[in-house]
Amino acid sequence: MTFKNLYIEHERSAEAEEWVKGEVTEQEARFAKIEASMEALAPTREKWYQEFFDRICTNGFNVDGDDKMRIPESDLPSKPQNRRDQVVWKYGVDSDDTPRNGQGD
Amino acid sequence: MARPHIEPFCDRDSHFKPMRLIGFGSGMHYKMLSMDVDTGACSMTVQFDNGYKRTPGFSWSEYELIVIEGELKVGDRVCRKGHYFYVPAGYALPEISSDQGCLVLYMYNTGEPSHEEATEHHSSAQTQLYHNVDSYMDIPWAMGNVAKPSVAAGCMIKLLNYNPNSFAMTFLYCMTPNFYQDNISYHDCAEESYHLWGTSWMMQFGDVPTGGYFWRPAYINHGAFASEYGCIALGRVDSKLFNHFHYNPWSTPVENADRSEARLMARDPLLYHWAFSKDHNHPHSPKDFEVLMPRRGEEAGHDNEHKSDGHRHDHWHGHHHHDEHSPHTHDHHHDH
Repeated sequence: MTFKNLYIEHERSAEAEEWVKGEVTEQEARFAKIEASMEALAPTREKWYQEFFDRICTNGFNVDGDDKMRIPESDLPSKPQNRRDQVVWKYGVDSDDTPRNGQGD
Repeated sequence: MARPHIEPFCDRDSHFKPMRLIGFGSGMHYKMLSMDVDTGACSMTVQFDNGYKRTPGFSWSEYELIVIEGELKVGDRVCRKGHYFYVPAGYALPEISSDQGCLVLYMYNTGEPSHEEATEHHSSAQTQLYHNVDSYMDIPWAMGNVAKPSVAAGCMIKLLNYNPNSFAMTFLYCMTPNFYQDNISYHDCAEESYHLWGTSWMMQFGDVPTGGYFWRPAYINHGAFASEYGCIALGRVDSKLFNHFHYNPWSTPVENADRSEARLMARDPLLYHWAFSKDHNHPHSPKDFEVLMPRRGEEAGHDNEHKSDGHRHDHWHGHHHHDEHSPHTHDHHHDH
């Protein structure tokens, strides 16, 4: 996060260095736990996806604010073959596990 | 590498740890929400014990905070829940204390938490940027359509901080009971949220309850959205917020980013071609002439002849008015 990007150069103390290192290690464990819990949620999420498709075909898809458009069933996306349902991406587009177009699917 | 994707996370599921970094004193406890693995910038839920006191001083990093529960004293001023502070790097706050204890959300934006005891600001502090507000009492809710296309009615915001260069924002947002929005969204920016109260739901991640948190890098799908009983949260984005809505739950961040690029080309084709043309490559970053252009500075020898006192002007640029009926027909140099 670089809100105003205000930072004053200084030397980080050894103590602060150690503290950051410890927190980063704990964050790795926290991330792994989140990733596992989101993988475990996949079957429920699959049901939520189908309910979402049903709602946007009947009630409508929120295009902008409360403007809605009903999506024809024929326009719904096909589930990609051989791609697992992934919702947590460690570093977004910079993730090692992010499938590039046509690769890793 | 910045901060990893932490979503969903609830701080109620972890324990407070004592803050051991020098300068913060005893009686400060924290739960880490997310941290930039390079810079140490981080967001934390902080609990100050009753009787906590911290000496006046500044941080090397800019930071933001909002009181979640209880009362925090900043100098003599008592700040209650909803009170928000933006504190530039090097800005010295007076002593902070809490008689009865309080819960605070702290966000260090550019470096690890630090506290240098000082009663005066650091010489590099941009003190004019400091501000604070009681966001619950002193700012009205506004429609959430700060970005277009926008969120559905029922999601409202209070803007707390804004960067006119990057369009980064810090804001409170709320969802009314029975709020729902049936689309999937992603942004070209990272997004962070902490649920101060209430529960919302997202199709990918399930319920985000009170104390629920996420740090989400750019281009990651989230939504559809709903909140059965309503919620209030603090949100932040690190650059311009644009809602890319769609209904494909299986798209990846790379596919989303590619779609953003395609939309940029459709919307700003000239800028797109200028930025991406091969013979006009900027290996580091594009140059902004306003930042780089030579300026006159304080040296002597300025042109004093054409200075305006606000009442007269010189038509030194010699324009011509040929309309006979113009009250301003002249093509000569004049003063008046």
